[in-house]
Amino acid sequence: MQDEESLVRRAQQNDQEAFAQLYEEHFDRIYRYIALKIGDAVEAEDLTQQVFLNSLRSISSFRWKGRPFSAWLYRIAHNQVVDYLRKKKRSDLPLEETLASGSDDPQRDAERRLDIEQVLAAAQKLTEAQREVISLRFTSELSIAQVAEVMGKSQGAVKALQHSGIVALRRALMVTENDE
Amino acid sequence: MTNKEFDNILNDCLERLLVKGESLEQCLERYPAQAAELKPLLETALAAREAAAIQPRPDFKAQASYQFRSALEERAAGKSRSSWGWFPRWATVVAIVLVLVLGGGGGTVAAADSSMPGSPLYPVKLATEQVRLTLTLSQMGKARLCAELADERVAEIAYMADKGDAEQVVIITRRLEDKLDLLVVLVGGSEGANGVLLAPPPAATAPPTTAPPPAEGPMPQKGWGGIDESAQNGTQALRDRVAYDAANNQALLNEALDKAPERAREALRRAIVVSEDGYEEVLEALEQS
Repeated sequence: MQDEESLVRRAQQNDQEAFAQLYEEHFDRIYRYIALKIGDAVEAEDLTQQVFLNSLRSISSFRWKGRPFSAWLYRIAHNQVVDYLRKKKRSDLPLEETLASGSDDPQRDAERRLDIEQVLAAAQKLTEAQREVISLRFTSELSIAQVAEVMGKSQGAVKALQHSGIVALRRALMVTENDE
Repeated sequence: MTNKEFDNILNDCLERLLVKGESLEQCLERYPAQAAELKPLLETALAAREAAAIQPRPDFKAQASYQFRSALEERAAGKSRSSWGWFPRWATVVAIVLVLVLGGGGGTVAAADSSMPGSPLYPVKLATEQVRLTLTLSQMGKARLCAELADERVAEIAYMADKGDAEQVVIITRRLEDKLDLLVVLVGGSEGANGVLLAPPPAATAPPTTAPPPAEGPMPQKGWGGIDESAQNGTQALRDRVAYDAANNQALLNEALDKAPERAREALRRAIVVSEDGYEEVLEALEQS
């Protein structure tokens, strides 16, 4: 935490390398968080980039209060997502060939892409708060305490949302499988 | 077993599975009485994590990284740029003469104040604003003026959107963003409520009323002369003003979006985002100050 605080302070003092390091550390997690929230991997790329450009503009307003820097970034990402969803009706665009494959096996990649599509689609059936928790916990890998800080809720409330979110996700995934 | 107890057990299993790397079987052995209920939930969580572990495309990531580093360099370069560099020299000279020599009064200032982008007097208006900002000494005075100027920029955005001038909407949106960013900085470094209360309000800077009346709630008076500062400190007054502007400007821009020609809508949508995010950041900074 101390290292991150020092990094953030350097970024606030216009240290380009410090900000670039924060960017590299958080980019993928913020991307996954947004992708699961909006259900569109392509749009998530642009939104993620916009989150970091916004953070660059407003880094001077960040006040260190012992909360992780990521909490601030997720707040910006959350606002970006809310704005995006307000402007556009959620689309069910296919992910197409947009996801980075992790292997040289096309069949495995295709199956994996289907899994991702199913999960992203199923996540859209959750309530906003459930989706937020699932996204922060399982794609961004934040702890319960960190999720509670990002969302401004108690840890008990986050645990309850985690439980109901997993139940709802399971139900939605089962419906998807039954439809196929 | 209560829901809360089960939530805790589920969370403990998730920590073990996802963070500590235990197997599903190991987790279930720890809680045999809940194993049947836990198993499908943990399987779902594992599947969700595996499936959602997506990455942005490598080519996009490289491009985005380059774009971000360019933005970092622009930001660093922008820090050293003079704030006077935006205006034509003649407009700056006219503005200084108007404000300093003529005391900011007279018909030319009034005409410039109400001018809109594209008008010959508009550069004078911007330069006059800059002169006023420079001459306002207290941080709270500057912050108040910044709030008024941000309000003015929103009115200009709505006006130019109505004209269908997307290019001007983009340009003024940047100016709005600059003003709101500056406001965050000013508020963040404010000298405290007692100090700013004593700062005199900037003279003759009351902007034209641009926003529609709010749908509900009290409306703080535009400008600063009417605010009862003996009962309400400067920070609170600024907070009220910014909260009022945030709500009303959002309404104004959304209303403009309904009426704007198609060619200006994308730029206007961006302006709405900038306005909303910017005012929110200012309010957050005010809460923390």
